[in-house]
Amino acid sequence: MKTSFTLNGKKTEVETSTNQTLLDLLREDLDVKSVKKGCEAGECGACTVLLDEKPVTSCFVLAPQVENRSVTTVEGLVEDELMVALRDAFMKDGAIQCGFCTPGLLLSVYALLRENPRPTESEIKKGIEGNICRCTGYVKIVEAIIDAAEKIASD
Amino acid sequence: MKPIPSFDLHRPETLEEALELLSELEGSRPIAGGTDLLMSLREGDCKAKHLVDLGLVKELRCIREDKGTISIGSTTTVAQVVESRLINAKAPVLSEASSSLGSVQIRNLATMGGNLCNASPGADTATPLLVLGAGIEVASRKGSKSMPLSELFTGPNRTSLAPGELLTEIRFPIPPTGSGASFQKLGRRKSCTLSLINAAAYLEMNGKTCREARVAFGACAPTPMRALEVEGLLRGLKLDIKAVEEVSSACYGLVQPSTRAHARASEEYRREMSCVLMRRALTEAWERARRNTR
Repeated sequence: MKTSFTLNGKKTEVETSTNQTLLDLLREDLDVKSVKKGCEAGECGACTVLLDEKPVTSCFVLAPQVENRSVTTVEGLVEDELMVALRDAFMKDGAIQCGFCTPGLLLSVYALLRENPRPTESEIKKGIEGNICRCTGYVKIVEAIIDAAEKIASD
Repeated sequence: MKPIPSFDLHRPETLEEALELLSELEGSRPIAGGTDLLMSLREGDCKAKHLVDLGLVKELRCIREDKGTISIGSTTTVAQVVESRLINAKAPVLSEASSSLGSVQIRNLATMGGNLCNASPGADTATPLLVLGAGIEVASRKGSKSMPLSELFTGPNRTSLAPGELLTEIRFPIPPTGSGASFQKLGRRKSCTLSLINAAAYLEMNGKTCREARVAFGACAPTPMRALEVEGLLRGLKLDIKAVEEVSSACYGLVQPSTRAHARASEEYRREMSCVLMRRALTEAWERARRNTR
């Protein structure tokens, strides 16, 4: 079936099948490779995208269900001020090692800071509970988020 | 991971249309958030020739207050409940339990009706709703009926809903002054975790005497369960630390945890922990009831 939706601000029309996940549609048909295929069970968060601005695991969304909705990945936020601050803080603070979880984490944190620009440490931990990182142990990730929030607030 | 088997997808825009499709299409199942159903389809635990997607049925997605009752449409997401000021103010026990379910990403997809109809014995929203005295509305093409939430659950992942029937609304009376409730959950970790066991307690106090009590356990029986014997012990009881301790200890023999070898925790552990969680839940509910004097 034909599905039309907004992908990173651009109107997109694409052929989808009913049993195709949004994750597979993005990676295989639309070449959006920042969205990672991890567990396909909604637990790792590597496939996180923003669906109408809210983070969801794209392995749990059927491709036809995004009809008339808006999907955002890190590719769509390359020049976004908040995303730039987050990306810089992640690199500067060593919050990235292998990088597999990074796009999903950045999107979860982006959504968190949009709603709550100065989160407490426990609010940050709650905000990223759905993104598993097996390299960094989260300490540097939490530090980077605090630094990015401070930078945005002082600008 | 196995691919999802193919099916026909239907996307009705009204409840009437959805009920029509569910009754006419053989082998059809409703899909709401999909966070449980897509896994079951992948694993082959459930088969469906037709999925009726409820995502466009706006009338099922709402939280309302009317004449002392809060109603939640069945496809309201768990995140909407967590964010609802109304529920936070009037039934914080449901906000707290809902915010312990899954992760941000899952709560943005998963629905209240879906969490109940998946009928996991440890469903995190079931226990608080049971102690809030929740009822549900079930619709089919033939009409609509009300029943207590406890009658929905018939076994692990099984409900009393017949083919063609759909859970449309969950409602509960707004707890009165002098009442308090608490939800306690034990998982393997703090974040994004399934309940090894959970418990909820609701108390209405008249001074030091318990006027009304409802308590429930999750993952302690084949279905989320009200512990009616414990409620009987509490009603009319003058509460103090010792009384709470004694009532909680009685839970050991009253719960019926799974004895399956591959269960997430052993039967003995769950029996022991049912006492601990009930003590915590009663203590917090009692403290909240004392402060709820407006």
